[in-house]
Formats: sequence, structure tokens, C-alpha cells
Amino acid sequence: MPSPSVMNTSKTSSWRQRLLIGSLLIALVSLVAPGPISLISEAQSSAKKTDKQKRAEDQAMIEELKFFGDVFARVRSEYVEDVPDEDLIAAALNGALHALDPHSAYVPPVDFEEQQVSSRREYGGIGIEVSQELGLVKVQYALEDGPAYKAGIRTGDFITAVEGEKVRGKTLDDAIKGMKGLAGDPVTVTVLDTNNITKDIVVVRQTVRGRAIQHRVLDGLGYVFIETFNNENLARDLERALNDLKRQIGGNIPGLVIDMRGNRGGLLDQSVDVSSLFLDGGEVLSSRGRTPEDTERYHAAPGQYDENMPIVVLINSGSASAAEIVAGALQDRGRAVVMGRRSFGKGSVQSVIPLLENGGALRLTTQRYYTPSGTSIQGRGIMPDILVALSPDTGKVEKRFREDSLRNSLGNPDDSDFAENHDDIDYPPEEWPKTEDYQLKAAQDLLRSSRYRTMIAKFDQLAP
Amino acid sequence: MKYIVPVVGTVAAVALFAFSNFNSGSAIAAETSKKADIYKQLQLFPDVLARVRADYVVDVQDELLIEDAINGMLQSLDPHSSYMNAEAFRDMQNVTAGEYGGLGMEVTSDSGFVKIIAPIDNTPAYKAGIKAGDYITEIDGDSLIGMSLTDAVDQMRGKPGEPITVTVVRKDEEPMEITMVRAIIPQNRATYKIQDGIPVIRISQFNEKTESSMVSAIQSARKDLGGSVPGLVLDLRRNPGGLLDQSIKVSSAFLNGGDVVSTRGRRANDVQEYGAEKGELLKDVPVVVIIDNASASAAEIVAGALQDRGRGLVIGATSFGKGSVQSIIPLEGGRQGALRLTTQRYYTPSGRSIQGTGIEPDIFVSATPKDEDARKSFRESDLPNAIKNELEAAEEDEVEAVVEYPPEGFAEDGDFQLDKAIEILKSGQYKALMAAAG
Repeated sequence: MPSPSVMNTSKTSSWRQRLLIGSLLIALVSLVAPGPISLISEAQSSAKKTDKQKRAEDQAMIEELKFFGDVFARVRSEYVEDVPDEDLIAAALNGALHALDPHSAYVPPVDFEEQQVSSRREYGGIGIEVSQELGLVKVQYALEDGPAYKAGIRTGDFITAVEGEKVRGKTLDDAIKGMKGLAGDPVTVTVLDTNNITKDIVVVRQTVRGRAIQHRVLDGLGYVFIETFNNENLARDLERALNDLKRQIGGNIPGLVIDMRGNRGGLLDQSVDVSSLFLDGGEVLSSRGRTPEDTERYHAAPGQYDENMPIVVLINSGSASAAEIVAGALQDRGRAVVMGRRSFGKGSVQSVIPLLENGGALRLTTQRYYTPSGTSIQGRGIMPDILVALSPDTGKVEKRFREDSLRNSLGNPDDSDFAENHDDIDYPPEEWPKTEDYQLKAAQDLLRSSRYRTMIAKFDQLAP
Repeated sequence: MKYIVPVVGTVAAVALFAFSNFNSGSAIAAETSKKADIYKQLQLFPDVLARVRADYVVDVQDELLIEDAINGMLQSLDPHSSYMNAEAFRDMQNVTAGEYGGLGMEVTSDSGFVKIIAPIDNTPAYKAGIKAGDYITEIDGDSLIGMSLTDAVDQMRGKPGEPITVTVVRKDEEPMEITMVRAIIPQNRATYKIQDGIPVIRISQFNEKTESSMVSAIQSARKDLGGSVPGLVLDLRRNPGGLLDQSIKVSSAFLNGGDVVSTRGRRANDVQEYGAEKGELLKDVPVVVIIDNASASAAEIVAGALQDRGRGLVIGATSFGKGSVQSIIPLEGGRQGALRLTTQRYYTPSGRSIQGTGIEPDIFVSATPKDEDARKSFRESDLPNAIKNELEAAEEDEVEAVVEYPPEGFAEDGDFQLDKAIEILKSGQYKALMAAAG
């Protein structure tokens, strides 16, 4: 058990007491793996069907369950080795849930308790965000300041073993357990990198905490890099950063770049608060389930930070979830011009549903996110107003890893084509130096040109 | 009677059906004390199904959920266990009836990708230059990440004449797209050639014709050599296995009675022993068996039997280590599909399990010049989740073996392992080496 858990013990236990009462709904807590989390209570299970329909469905389900029980019995008696029953059941539940979509999973009892702690702890350990892809741990994002990044682990790498112990066959939570531990202690992870080369890398664990943003004045304009939304103080830190930019510039910020490239998301309330900073009331996003009653709407607070400050938001295919909510809200509300490449498309909400039988839980996809104009983010992402590439056109169509590249990912209700139009992409010239950030330069150029005002004016006209 | 499927996950499947001899209810009934606990575990399912039905973001069918649950359970066991639904089970029966086309390679699953154990001689995969250890990451442009081995194999099968493009990833090379045309997978016979007066028998797979064609190959060779055979090379490299009974018959041809292989299940009484028949084909003729990391299953049984019984000198590289037996267990007569379940392991006559560790040659001879990476060539024990060998302790004590490498300037199209085998037989070192091998 990781040490920082101690301070959360009381919170956790009171939480569990409330859970036993059985009527609570904690709203969405977080948006990235290990999961955008909300809790669904027993009472929420809707009884929309007639009793007769229900009985027929139940009968069919009993048949299916009998079938499963039969297979379970055969595996138990015939497999070449003894396998603990709970492992078989966990694998079966995971099989069923993973087949729904890549973000749904079964959380066994012990892990569920730990997760209650870790969802409040941000991430410690080696500084990576991970997901599971058929039993392997994939590095979704290696934090630039984290020890894993410094040791050479990069986004897109697979972790195949921790301390020599293979991760395959374990649940994600089990697999990453070995990476957590006391700060200062080294851990050896076996990494299969994107060149398909396997190597052992020693990483010294460290507490990865601190600010999720960086800010500076660039050629007289404001620049804010939001690395992650997985930080409870993000919106507060952002406001402070803006104040500091003002101070450095000695007056109002003449233009602001909000850089969310590679931002994998994080806490939902932070995405609402960040959007709210730049919007005077009105809708930021809605999350919608299978029925209209499930819809929840999130609004910005009245008042905004310097309404005359031009804003360009930079995104790319690595911008996911909470980052897409902010980009989508500022775009739809005509508050910013969005530049870069089409974003990742993680627009689904996972709820954690406790299982009273054994103390475990389901992590189940229950809702999709929609931008204020009613567009679902899931599988499609946010399309920039201006498409700008980072490196020169090679003539090849590059494959980018997005939500819809995940096998059996949840689709978008709107199944029309949503690809980037290659002819619209602004590529840097061939001789463009690799050390120069073409997308950032394009953002700065736009903020200084009259084109920005024209574009924003056009958005205002389009707005309902 | 229990039939065994010695090879699974193969595009050129050679499979028999097993109708398991147990009675499904009794296993649970016998353990009353555990029953309550199991019941509690199973009770999770109705709850989970109800939750998914009520709360999942889109509608889901119960029967698909159950099928995926069963798949998840079986795939968590090892790479060779899987569930076939009724349709897949029917397809598999058609496969064995020869009504399908394929690529002709033995595959397994690793890191979520399809990994090649070996291409079979004279098949599309072989002709396209697919090599043991290659990964297949995409089929017709679609990524295989997250796809089960069974599904991937299904996609590679199809009508003979239909083309397929696979993306192949090979160590230290750029991913390449290879287009092949599916074909009926040939039932390769054993072939022979004579090199420096020594017959070299090549067995590329174990099918129904393997033993009979090997016997006639040996007879032809004997005739070519004027009636006397001074020694024999048995080439089992890149042989992914096949039918168990053929591996026993091939071993039996060189052995005068005695043990060949045994299979053992979980229960102590679940032991099946397979022996050789009396009489041997080439009494007192020295035999050198060549294996490599792509020799699997039935090929390892032959190498292990001849090695343990002191009947042949095994050279080359440690074999793949596929020493598990999968049974096909039809559910409700196949109407509900079937399980492909690992039920037993193979053991050599001296009681060594083949699973994971493979057969270690008496003399390590490399096919390629010295290269540190080549020592790390993949085997079953590298597969995620591979069934652990019970004798794992022995594995850990493995001493760095002495390996003979081709000399500098050795012809690239030469066969150093075969040359070495012939040299051993011609130079008269055979007896001394056999004695040293124990």
C-alpha cells in the first residue's frame, strides 16, 4: 500500500459508510485513467420497462448465466493447473467489460479500496499516465518533469514488466502497483518502445506533484501551457499565472496562447473552472447517457477574465478529455480560435459502480460529453478552426493514435466523416528548423493579425 | 478415448476433436465446502449484467457479454486456451476437412500481436519470406491490437486465391507490408537429400503422411547409397509440430520399444503414456537431430525422446517450448461452441516437461554469425502468461552455453548447422559426443 494513503483514511471510511446507506451520488470526479469517475447508486437504475418485458429478459439472462456457470465448472475441473476462482471470475468480468469499450473494466475488491485513495492523491511513482491495451501497460503520457521521462520512457511505449514481473494477465491496477512506492526507491521497468525494442530502465521513484501549468511572456504575448487537468488547483494556478503575465507585461495581456497539446485530461471540475475563467456564464458542456433523464449540464460562473483578451487555443491529437472540453467550449462559445490538429476524441464518462457482493466495482462507460453546440466529442474530438501541422508535409498520410484507433472504442452518435482535410493543413516549409515550434508561431501570428478579430466576429454571427 | 490437439493457434491447423470424459456438474458438487464461495463469485454476474443493461451508454446484448466473459476467462489462462462460439467451431471443423485456404504459419500471441512461431515449408507465408519471430501487427491495414489470437487467425484464413496484406514487424527493420495469396495448405511429406554420403531427412510438419513418407524416404536413401546408411540427419528446424500420433510413430521408427512421451494433467491419475513399438528402422546407425527455436510441439517430442533415450545427438538451438496439450471440448454438442483448453503437458521419457523450457540441444550450433541479440531469440517462456514450467528452478540455473558459430566469411546461403551435423557423423566424433551428452 503506498504510503501517502494514511492521510486519507478517515475520508475513505466515511465515504464507505455513506456508500452503505446506498443513496449517494458523487458527481464526476476525474476524467482520465484510472477513470472519469462518478458513482451511481442503486436508486438510479431505471425501471423503464414493463414487468413482462423484464421477466422475459431475466429468463434469457438466467439461461446465459447457466451457460457461463457450466463453462466455469469445466475450466475449474479440466485446466492443467489450479486457478483461483476469483481470478477466473475477474478475468471473465474484465473480458465482458473490455469488450464494451477500452475504458470499461472490472475493479477487484482490494484495488477498488486503493483507488478510493489514489483518486485523491494525484499520481506519484514514476510520473506516467497509463492505459491497458490487451493486458499490456501503455504509456499514454510521460510527464516531462517526471522521473520516467528523464530515464527515457516516452509516450507510446509499452511497459511489459515491472521488476521482472510480467504485466500481461494482470489488471491495470495490479500491473502498475509495482511502480508505486516510496520516493527515492528505484524500480526497474521493462519497456517495449515504439521501435519494438525491449529494454530495462531503472527509474527512481519521486513524488510527482506541483503545478500543472507553465507560463511565460513570449514576444509580448501571454503563453500558458496546461500540461494536465489532473490537479485540484489548476484553475486557481491559471488565474495566478494570468495575473503574473499581466504584471510582467505591465498592462492587459494583448493576446494569450493556451497550449493544451498532449494534454490527456484530468479532473472534470477543473475543465469547467478553466472554461469558466474565460466565459461569462452559459453552458460549458453536457454529459448525456442513454436516456434524456441522464443528461447533466455544466455551466460557467458569471464574469470572466478580461473579455477583450484575444485567445488562441492550441490542440493536437494528444489533447484528450478535459482538454477537449475546454477547447470545445471556448470554440463553440466564440471565445477563442482553436488551432493545431484534430484532438484525441475521448468524450466518454466512466462511472464507478460498487458491487455490494464482494466490495469490488465496475468502471462502466455511462455517458458521452457534448460541447455547448450539442456535438459529441467521443471518437471525433475537436476540429481546429485553423489546421496547422508541427512538421513539414512528407506527402505521406500519418497515422495518429486517437480514441478511434483503440479497438472497439465507443462510437460517436454522428457517424459522418470527420477527418482532417489534408488540403486545409498549414504545413511549415520544408527547411523549417526542428527546434522551432511552427504551431506556436502560427498562433502568435494570428493573435497579432486582424484575421483573429474577423474570425471571432464570424463566430458571433454564427452563434444562435 | 481422449483425442488430443497438439497444435493450436495455427493457420494450417491440424486438429482432432476431443470429447472430454468428465461430467460437468460433479466437479462442483464434490466440493461442498467451496460451493458457497463459488456461488458467491458467480453471483457477481447477474448484478454486473443488470448494471450494464441499465447503465451502459448504449444498448448491449446479454449473450455477447457472456461470450466476451468466457473469452476473457479463457484467454487469461494462457495464449493457447480460447473459446469458439458455435460459428467458429463449425469453421474449425471445416478447416480440418480441408475446405479452407490459409497462409501456412504457426502463430502465437505476444504483446497483443500475432507472433510467428514458424512458417511451414512450401506455403504462401514461407514463399513470402515470413520468418520465425516476426510479428504481424495489421491485417489489411487494420491494427490487431486488442484482437484475440483466434480472431486474428480467422481473419487470415479464407478462400484459396484470395489475397491478404499483412504488416510485418521484424526486429531492427522498418515495418513492411507483405501481400500473400491464400492457398490450400499442403500436407508436406518428409523429403530427403544426400549430402557427403549422409541422408538428410527433412520433416517440416507432422501430418498424417509424415511417418510413412519418412520411412519411404529412408528406404530410397538406403537404395541410393547402395544398401548401407552410415549415419542420418533428421532436420526438424522450423517445424511447428502437428499430430501427436505422428510424432510418436516417427520416434518409434528409431526406437526399439520403450517410452516416447507422456502427457500429464492436473490430477495424479491423469497420466497418459505413449510408447514405441518393438523393432527399429536403422539399428546402430548414428542419428543427428537438428532443432531450432522454431521447432515446437510434436517436433520437440521427437527430439526429446531420441535425446533422452540416447538414440540421437541433438544439435542446434533450444527449441520453442510448446509442451502443452489443448483439448477441444464441445459445449452442448457444439451448439454452444467449444472450449479449446490446455489440459495437459508433455513430458519426455526422463520426466522433463517441455513446456516453457523446450529441448536444449546437446551441442549448441548457431545458424548465423555471433550476435548478442540472437541469443535472446524468442521462445514460449517469453510469451506473456505462458504456463510456467514446474521445474522453473532448473531454468534459472541455466549456465551460459558454449555455442559454435559459423566462421567469418561463411557463405550467407550456406547451412552451418547441417554442415556441422554431417561433420559429426563423418568424422567419427559421434560416439564420443554421445557419451559426453550422457
